[in-house]
Amino acid sequence: MATETATPVVIEDAPGASNPSDTILQVRRLRKWFDVGGRFLGIGQRSWLKAIDDVSFDVRERRTFGLVGESGCGKTTTLKVILGLEEPTEGHIFWQGEDVATMTRAGRREFRRSVQAVFQDPWSSLNPRMRVQAIVGEPLEIATTMSRQQIRDRVGDLLVEVGLNPYQMNLYPHEFSGGQRQRIGIARALALNPKLICLDEPVSALDVSIRAQIMNLLVDLQNEHGLAYLLVAHNLATVRYMCHEMAVMYLGVVQEMGDTEAIFNNPLHLYTNALISAALPSHPDITRDEIILPGEVVSPIDPPPGDVFMTRTPIEVDQSHQYANERPPLIEMEPNHWVVETPWSLATDEALQASIYDEEAEIRASEEERRRLASMN
Amino acid sequence: MAQTSTATAEEREHILEDAAEVDSDGFGPSAATSEVVLDVNNLQTHFATRWGTVKAVDGVTYSVRRGETLGVVGESGSGKSVTALSIMRLVPSPPGHIVGGEVVLNGRNLLELSEREMTQVRGGEVSMILQDPMTALNPVFTVENQVGEAIRIHQRLRGKDLWDSIVDALRKVRIPAPETRAKDYPHQLSGGMRQRVVGAIGISTSPDVIIADEPTTSLDVTIQAAYLRLLRQIQREAGVGIIFITHDFGIVAKMCDRVAVMYAGRIVESADVRTIFNSPLHEYTKALINSVPKLEEKTGRLPQIEGQPPLLYNLPEGDAFAPRSPLEYEEEDANVRPELVEVAPGHQVQLSRASVADFDKYKHLVSYG
Repeated sequence: MATETATPVVIEDAPGASNPSDTILQVRRLRKWFDVGGRFLGIGQRSWLKAIDDVSFDVRERRTFGLVGESGCGKTTTLKVILGLEEPTEGHIFWQGEDVATMTRAGRREFRRSVQAVFQDPWSSLNPRMRVQAIVGEPLEIATTMSRQQIRDRVGDLLVEVGLNPYQMNLYPHEFSGGQRQRIGIARALALNPKLICLDEPVSALDVSIRAQIMNLLVDLQNEHGLAYLLVAHNLATVRYMCHEMAVMYLGVVQEMGDTEAIFNNPLHLYTNALISAALPSHPDITRDEIILPGEVVSPIDPPPGDVFMTRTPIEVDQSHQYANERPPLIEMEPNHWVVETPWSLATDEALQASIYDEEAEIRASEEERRRLASMN
Repeated sequence: MAQTSTATAEEREHILEDAAEVDSDGFGPSAATSEVVLDVNNLQTHFATRWGTVKAVDGVTYSVRRGETLGVVGESGSGKSVTALSIMRLVPSPPGHIVGGEVVLNGRNLLELSEREMTQVRGGEVSMILQDPMTALNPVFTVENQVGEAIRIHQRLRGKDLWDSIVDALRKVRIPAPETRAKDYPHQLSGGMRQRVVGAIGISTSPDVIIADEPTTSLDVTIQAAYLRLLRQIQREAGVGIIFITHDFGIVAKMCDRVAVMYAGRIVESADVRTIFNSPLHEYTKALINSVPKLEEKTGRLPQIEGQPPLLYNLPEGDAFAPRSPLEYEEEDANVRPELVEVAPGHQVQLSRASVADFDKYKHLVSYG
């Protein structure tokens, strides 16, 4: 990895990430590969699980950036690398223009205070043996010089801010419902006045009736405190509601990225179309053609060198094509709307027609299969 | 008590005929018929806890017709799953007790059967389909073994007959080359195929009713869509009635013909799916539908349901939803125990002044109006 001095850094543009002036977090060419062995006594090829492979994006002040994709697409690993829970294999993370890897101790401490997280499952992300006061006050105890009384007052204020009662600071997590626990998690994330909060599926474990409460709370806090959010979610409706910008990931690679409304109004990549078509409707009269991609998600261990999506397209892939052998870049198709463009990855009429679910065809196929087997016997 | 004022049998028949012609989901014409296979009547299941009696199911009435999907919607703790367990008589006892009501399946009250007879019903006439295909199959037995188990027990088939019905069940869920696949172990199948095998187990005994209890775990949208397609196929092939337990109105919109909304152990509203979405009467139903963000358009601030779900061991005698209702009401209105009444053919609402905005329009239907 290149050693860079902290000042002044030139952060290269990457496709889809062009350094807007109000950016606070820049992720550039980030890779996280896990060594999954495959060798015996040092002989043979190393196997790599490429959880994230060359991901770049910008998170802007007071904005929400969403990462979407199926499980295993690398969205949570991206969050973990940003939070410093995993070391990147390659690539850089810039916080307010400074490379996190080469920060001074003080700079790093400041970075850690400014970036907080809220996790998916409010049942396992709060220590059951700690009172709410200790849970929410812990970051304050570690990172500030506040006195016990000051911490107490601050915890009380934080609880009020997330819609709980100050007297509830003496209770334990099990005395709260799921939505209330998620509020405690949010209060903990807010304690150090962060600038960016990483939200890992913040509402998917909650009851539907509680989800709106938590999403509205997050939006209110964003407006009040000027927070930036990095949201990981698989529910597209949540993403459309919360996010200003988004990236769709498949097998560790960003396939489509840009302004949320631009993507939802005109999804260009076939994979994005498939995700949208599978999402649940909000009214029984809304019917969508279901787009079913052939094959299954392939293993992220030693993926093909070319476009990772090429095994899932109904269009025949020319194996000698450049992008069957090397990674295709993101192309800007309209202002702030980027997509991986190959002859087989875009949602052309041909590709859509070929992948729309047709029950009749499926019945026919299974009949033929049966006849074929019968004739074999 | 949960009580339904009745439309005449003829009227019902007529409504159903009309309803059957409407495409009530995105999957083409509904397979719903008018023959009731399962009738749950005023079912009550209580749990004795150290905080008092929890009325998890407090007088629930619903019915499922052949070929129909009934969505039972509610948040955790609303009693939707305990109702399903009570139908199967799988409520752990103690502390749970089915204290009243009846569950009529094909003319027999399941609550009066012996444990031995009940074993024949479970997995036979009524079966459950689990959503997670990865954990529902046993890795050390072949597909043949696992699909055949229920058939062996319930239909007492052996040898060639058993093999034929195994292959038949696999074919019904569209597994290609079922004769070869039956010899495979779960790890040799793709995720989608495993899901189908789980479906095949569910329909292998030709049940009349399938209960699909959606676990709260969040599945990927693509896997969820595949699961819903599979259930639809099964329904069309086998003509079963499906009880779909969920908390997600998106699933209801996509899958269900009729909906029963549960709150605090009781049904607050039930109707066909279009009525529920187009003209809901109960504030809870309205709030549940409106509080979900839409994929189809960018929405403004979401309306949210204030407050928390109630604690079941400390339920008010009257309208349990009143404390969260956005309507203005007098204290005494909330203390009246509301009745479930039929306000239009097939549309039942738990009428309470505190939770139904149009109460005055229907107050002649209840004694406390």
